[in-house]
Amino acid sequence: MTNSDTLRLGGVDLSSRLIHGTGKFSSADVLSRSIAASGAQMITLAVRRLHLDGDRRSELEGVDLAALTLLPNTAGATTSEEAVRLARLARASGLSDFIKIEVVGEPETLLPDPIGTLEATIRLVAEGFTVLPYTSDDVALALRLGAAGAAAVMPGAAPIGSTLGVLNPYNMKLIIEKSEVPVIVDAGLAAPSDAARVMEWGAEGVLVNTGIARAHDPVAMAGAFAAAVTAGRTAYLAGLAGVAGGTGGASSPSAGLPEPISNAKSS
Amino acid sequence: MSTASAGQGGLESGSGRRNRLRSARLYLVSDDATPEAALLELLSAAIDGGVDIFQLRRKGAAPRDLEALARRCVEICHRAGVLFVVDDHLELAVSCGADGLHLGHEDMPLSEARVRLGPDVLVGASTHDRDQVVSAVRDGADYISAGPVHPTPTKAGRPAVGLGHVTTAARFTTVPVVAIGGLDAGQAGMAVEMGADMVGVVRAVCSSADPAGEAARVREAVDRAAPWSWLWINGTMRKCLPHERLSDLARALGFDKEGVVIEVNGTIPSRDGWDELLLEPGDKLEVVHFVGGGALD
Repeated sequence: MTNSDTLRLGGVDLSSRLIHGTGKFSSADVLSRSIAASGAQMITLAVRRLHLDGDRRSELEGVDLAALTLLPNTAGATTSEEAVRLARLARASGLSDFIKIEVVGEPETLLPDPIGTLEATIRLVAEGFTVLPYTSDDVALALRLGAAGAAAVMPGAAPIGSTLGVLNPYNMKLIIEKSEVPVIVDAGLAAPSDAARVMEWGAEGVLVNTGIARAHDPVAMAGAFAAAVTAGRTAYLAGLAGVAGGTGGASSPSAGLPEPISNAKSS
Repeated sequence: MSTASAGQGGLESGSGRRNRLRSARLYLVSDDATPEAALLELLSAAIDGGVDIFQLRRKGAAPRDLEALARRCVEICHRAGVLFVVDDHLELAVSCGADGLHLGHEDMPLSEARVRLGPDVLVGASTHDRDQVVSAVRDGADYISAGPVHPTPTKAGRPAVGLGHVTTAARFTTVPVVAIGGLDAGQAGMAVEMGADMVGVVRAVCSSADPAGEAARVREAVDRAAPWSWLWINGTMRKCLPHERLSDLARALGFDKEGVVIEVNGTIPSRDGWDELLLEPGDKLEVVHFVGGGALD
């Protein structure tokens, strides 16, 4: 992989294709070291009320936000209106024009509401945001979101926080193959191998939060995900040796093999 | 003023007492010098002048020596619909049927008093700085006093905190704030304009030859002053100066930091617009910033 292999989103070139989530970390220190170990250049953030009286410190205080591209999300929204409001609040910080749309449609699995997600995408694209919608692995919806002006689509491998890995590889491959905009696989990636796999298929990036934050050693795991993303990307660019029909095929030449012992002439 | 509790203070609910506390404007604290009989006369006169709350405070006396006096005070107060508060002595407050207990910093912890008294008895706390304000409210104070505004022999040796602390207290609480410490009719209005909900007096009334008249003069000054406005910040009621600029409120509450965004009634003014935006009573503010999050946590 060369330095020219960058992911371009909203006018920003990212040489790391791993986007680092910032929720669920045990401390600000672990979070900042994990981001450093991941090499991520983009992190996700949530918009929340400031505590009026108590502790106002954020888990982000050890993170050099100015050195990173910020991807605020609309987590907590259940309608397109709420997502638009959170997006405007995020942009008013003056720190980012990016927005990751999350419109939850089902409270237990946090699976996205497809209609609200599309509505919010259309409205926020019109308002000039760089829009990255979190979506399900529905192929047609992903294509609609791209057509609506999303800078990238972010299909979930599995429900947020589930660490179930890629539940529907067939759909995920179809989205990657057919999408006109970059596909960043989001949510549910449990192990570096999950990340490597979708990168091998041609995903342009992955977003990992729980898979890192809830690891026994998040900082080490961040490095493992970074290596997996690089491996997967390199493999994709190298071109996988496709195996037609799924039957076996020898990797070593069949010619030149010594004659079997049993056929050897005995004296 | 309510007289529903007359003669049976111990039976009134906490919410009834808190409602009366909300509308109270003049808070009288007894001094140590006035003899008992004179104190009862003085109390009746001061109530005629407009006192809403009376606190029995006798620093030298043992609780059991105050029992009879406290019971007389309860009678007088409750007949007039005035809230009666005992300083420091929890058992006395309970036994005489007081509406509330006031705690200074040398007294028992507020959280302990809150637990022992239950929800129906008011608890007030003296505060001298912002941390005390925040912890008093956290520990369940129903009101706080802010002072001493001026140096006062009532609290000898305690440095005056000035009206600035009254403003701080008003900014950081949702409970009523009593400005106290060397205040009289001449300064009562200013205390209200600096954020006090009510004015506390000791010497101004207790040492006056005309306690009813003096109480009435303080009361008039309090009623004439422009009180602070209520608005909503992140779902809780807060006070601000009448028609305060958003920029001033943001500075006072520490919202003027990078990355903090304020929404007022559903629209987001730009930072440049904070100076021109004048807040009105009942405005709804949402004050947000970025926190860690990959998705809904």
